[in-house]
Amino acid sequence: MVGLETSIRRKERPVLLGREPPAGRLAWRLVSPTLLVVFLVSLLPLVLAFALSFTEAHVVRGGIAWRFIGLENYRYYLGNRAFWESLRVTAFFTVVSLAVELVLGIGMALILNQPFFGRGLVRALILIPWALPTVVNARMWAWIYDGHAYGALNGLLLALGWIKEPLVWLSTAVPGAHVPVLGPFLKWVGDSTALNMILIGDTWKVTPLVALLVLAGLQTIPREYYEAARVDGATVWQQFRLITLPLLKPVILVVLVLRTMELFRVFDILYIIMANTIKVLSIYTFEEGIVFGHLGRGSALSFLVGLVILLLAFVYIKLLYSEEVR
Amino acid sequence: MRTYLKRSLAILTVCLLVLTLTAGCAPKPAAETPKEPAPAADKPFAGKTLNVIYMAQAGYQPPVFEARIKEFEDKTGAKVNLTFVKYDEQHEKIVTSAAAPTATYDVISLDLIWTAEFAEKGFVLPLDDRIAKDIKKDDIAPAIWSAFEYNGKTWAMPFLANFQLFFYNTELLEKAGYKEPPKTMEELEEMMTAMKKKGIVKYPWSDSWNQKEGLVCEYVWLTGAYGGDTFDAQGRPSFNQGAGVKALETMVRWLDKGLADPNSLVQDEPMAKDAFISGNCAFNSNWTFQYGLMNDPANSKVVGKAKMGLLPVAKDVFKAGSYETASVSGFQGMAVMANTKEPDLAWELVKWMTAPEFQAQHLEEMPVWTSVQQDPATLAKDPVMDVKSKEIAAVHHRPKVANYPEVSSIMQKYIHLALEKKMAPQAALDQAVKEIEALQ
Repeated sequence: MVGLETSIRRKERPVLLGREPPAGRLAWRLVSPTLLVVFLVSLLPLVLAFALSFTEAHVVRGGIAWRFIGLENYRYYLGNRAFWESLRVTAFFTVVSLAVELVLGIGMALILNQPFFGRGLVRALILIPWALPTVVNARMWAWIYDGHAYGALNGLLLALGWIKEPLVWLSTAVPGAHVPVLGPFLKWVGDSTALNMILIGDTWKVTPLVALLVLAGLQTIPREYYEAARVDGATVWQQFRLITLPLLKPVILVVLVLRTMELFRVFDILYIIMANTIKVLSIYTFEEGIVFGHLGRGSALSFLVGLVILLLAFVYIKLLYSEEVR
Repeated sequence: MRTYLKRSLAILTVCLLVLTLTAGCAPKPAAETPKEPAPAADKPFAGKTLNVIYMAQAGYQPPVFEARIKEFEDKTGAKVNLTFVKYDEQHEKIVTSAAAPTATYDVISLDLIWTAEFAEKGFVLPLDDRIAKDIKKDDIAPAIWSAFEYNGKTWAMPFLANFQLFFYNTELLEKAGYKEPPKTMEELEEMMTAMKKKGIVKYPWSDSWNQKEGLVCEYVWLTGAYGGDTFDAQGRPSFNQGAGVKALETMVRWLDKGLADPNSLVQDEPMAKDAFISGNCAFNSNWTFQYGLMNDPANSKVVGKAKMGLLPVAKDVFKAGSYETASVSGFQGMAVMANTKEPDLAWELVKWMTAPEFQAQHLEEMPVWTSVQQDPATLAKDPVMDVKSKEIAAVHHRPKVANYPEVSSIMQKYIHLALEKKMAPQAALDQAVKEIEALQ
């Protein structure tokens, strides 16, 4: 703060009198602590991990033993069935979650954008699920889905008389396995009843955030557009499709990029409820790198995951921004 | 601009140096040990410091552990720094400590599944010479010692003894017309079938068969119940023949017949405990902790009805007196890190913490010493000590291999696939063995 004030005072001095420090100097001095921290806790480990990904490395007494093996780790995964299975189940979880979150999120935002009694309270309340720590949320859903009669969901359905005996909600069986086309497809992507149920739990937690972001977007759309459309006789659906949706595109882009990245790295809720059973990429990476202690392989895998996310972000930006410009 | 760059580079280097130096200093609180008077003859370790890591979870609770450490400090004059962590955090911290030039921790608690890894990599010191000199070795059962033996050496001193036991609900048993719990697997299955048929209980057996470490534990004792081990003496997988196949076939058959609760596939040990204490199942196998909880009226619906006994074994391997039961071990020992600067002091602490007189005072945990288990004072205090002593002598260990986490992960995966009926038992076990062999 003091530095900032003196610099402002200095600027006021006649240029002739003092030596004016280069404009960037103060800026550099101010950001240097941040840069140092970023360098130490983010960049340095990143570079080290990248270097490790080309080695066969493990912990030995007194340090880490490593051997340079070039692209071997990357080749190992690209030719590994488990990696592709993991990629498929992660992609499935991401795509389905995103679709559900977006549809529900936009729907919720549209309702919350209408004037009604207690709107402010409801807007605040919907954020509660999102404020829950993921671990708490995961534990809560694990109890809800408990397969005994004392599980919350089973208890409710039994009390309502909708089911005769408790169901195993977290079963790893493939839903609709006997349905042609759909069954084999779900099996191929690694879907299971447990995955679907956990997806609901995760969506419950995150949709309010999506709704809030979309609501912010909705509020930037001028009312006059809708009034004009109404005068021209546009239906509600036409208003939504031709005004709301196109103007929401920037917000949707943000939601898409943000959520894709988060969903692709999903770890906690699946790990807490199902341990290592549903091997999405993060769980697979954690297992290879930390549990099994293959430091080199684990690093390579995390860079592969990063690469996929980068590609996705690139595609989104290309697709959505190009239309935006047009 | 040049000089500026140079200067900022210099600042950066200094900062880095300071950071690494302070970081390097952190785990050495020894630096400011107060100057003690000249070491007295009876306090040979005065002025020395020891760092110990222990888990604050199962086992002796932190206050008990701390009190015992305090006595050690008073006795030896040494200073002991204790670090309590969760069980799951130990392995990582110990490995990191091993990677450092000087040990962050001198004494660690060693889970038996790490024995091979830590021995093979030389993270901990072999203790045979010290044990031969200071310990009455035949006062601890060979089944317990063997958990910490690898390559012909002993790598830890037995400390905590956890193992699985058989739990049964006498009320349900009596309803089905049985007075005694089953002794053999065949009897067990017969009783469960009868209970199911009479509609006394929907699923007589509920266990922790989710795809986790617990599944391997269950499979190890079941393989033991059919008279075998999952791995041979050389550490090669042998569970795709004989007893191992029978064990998995039994699990699958129980699921098929509706004797085992389908929830077992998604339950861990605490959840299996919940199923049992809610009175929803007649039998299960679980770790020692279930005993206390099933007798706790605050949570349990089976107080007074639930009993603990010996796990059954198959009829054709049952031998009265010598092979009546089979269990699985979850032992922890105390070990000395190889990069410690104070191996003698570390051993003194290990001896002190694992001593029989300490275990005799704290019967909330199963004592590892036979003399304590059989002491009349112990038997008077603990009515189930007799059952526990028999069971602990009959434990089977999980495989002792250096890459245990990977081996276990493969076993979990294929055993679970068979339980899900996505693979036949034999095919699943064959594939698991194939993948484990490909690791080496």
